[in-house]
Amino acid sequence: MKRFTKLFHTAVLVLTMSAPVLAAAGGRVPMPQLPEAKGDQCVEDTDVMRRKHMDYLMVHRDKTMREGVRTPKHSLKECLECHASPQEEAAAGQDEGQHFCKSCHMYAGVKIDCFECHATKPEKTATFHPIVTPGMEYSKAAHQPAGELLNRLAGASEQTGATE
Amino acid sequence: MSEQKHPDNARREFLTQGAKLAAGVSLASGVMLYGVAQAKPADEAVTSKVRWGMLIDTNKCTSGCDACVKGCNDWNGLKGHGRPSTDAQWMRKVDLRNKATGSVHSLPMLCQHCENPPCVDVCPTGASFKRPDGIVLVDKHICIGCRYCMMACPYKARSFIHEEVTDQRPHAPRGKGTVEACTMCVTRVDEGQQPACVEACNADGHKAILFGDLNDPNSEIAQTVKTYATTAIRADLGLNPGVRYRGI
Repeated sequence: MKRFTKLFHTAVLVLTMSAPVLAAAGGRVPMPQLPEAKGDQCVEDTDVMRRKHMDYLMVHRDKTMREGVRTPKHSLKECLECHASPQEEAAAGQDEGQHFCKSCHMYAGVKIDCFECHATKPEKTATFHPIVTPGMEYSKAAHQPAGELLNRLAGASEQTGATE
Repeated sequence: MSEQKHPDNARREFLTQGAKLAAGVSLASGVMLYGVAQAKPADEAVTSKVRWGMLIDTNKCTSGCDACVKGCNDWNGLKGHGRPSTDAQWMRKVDLRNKATGSVHSLPMLCQHCENPPCVDVCPTGASFKRPDGIVLVDKHICIGCRYCMMACPYKARSFIHEEVTDQRPHAPRGKGTVEACTMCVTRVDEGQQPACVEACNADGHKAILFGDLNDPNSEIAQTVKTYATTAIRADLGLNPGVRYRGI
């Protein structure tokens, strides 16, 4: 009897462990694949952001559009600065599941139309503050190899990670 | 006690001197150094104390040159599909010829950022609006693409986006089914920079477009419109555009 219980438990454990694989095979919606964000902390706590990011974005949208308030906190542009995948190929196609916003919304069954108009990836890393706003020439240069700097930074951090 | 300066007076004097310093530095009689437009703090709302405007000098604008148009397209990510009748156009070059005298002038035509904009009057959703600082914009979040504003605009300044847009620039969101026009590069202006067309024209050495605050009596643009004869196109409509022309 004891042996049977043990066997049963093992079977349950094996089934539980393989559940995601089985689910994927059965055509379930895949879990969101979120690219790693920049920085340590989001503008609000994670659980607050999960529930309320749409409200923050809506309020900030009107303040920016109508009043010209251009603070980075709660702006869609800043979301993408930290969260969008710097790899162009991953970020470019909205139908690919790798995009930070898209992959989670796909999982949750939410259809948003932000990216019908808004850029899906950041163009340059430093912006918003007048002092660090690059001139037109810089932006032109940054337009073609978008994400090159980020890739280089990512490469550097990988290297340091390997040495540790 | 009577010799002592009244604290309020001292403060007043200090403020007056500060105002003189802020207004501009006079090098010699008639020679002034104008301060660069200060960027407002990012968390502050725009106010009607400022009215952004442009003065386009047609004597300095060259026929055949489209540096401003290119600068605009580049910064705002406007890409045509090779179909001029439906491609977005925020700025276009126009050549004018006076039939009586034969004189030819070239000028860029763009949203004139009217004080009394007809596009705002006719918009059924409130998407077309004027910011307190005089910049006329389309809130594409609530634009339904009815195109009334395009019909109302006497300057043909607005474009409807017929096709899907990809690879937008982060500072210039654009999408199918909405109307758009010159934004006076509002994100640049909010950061204390000049619009892209002005920068492109200056870089080309023409310096035909002067951008600044029409409400600030010490700004270069306010001084110039005060000193020289300038024209508002279709002044008869009483729209008081923020874009004015010189030499036509």
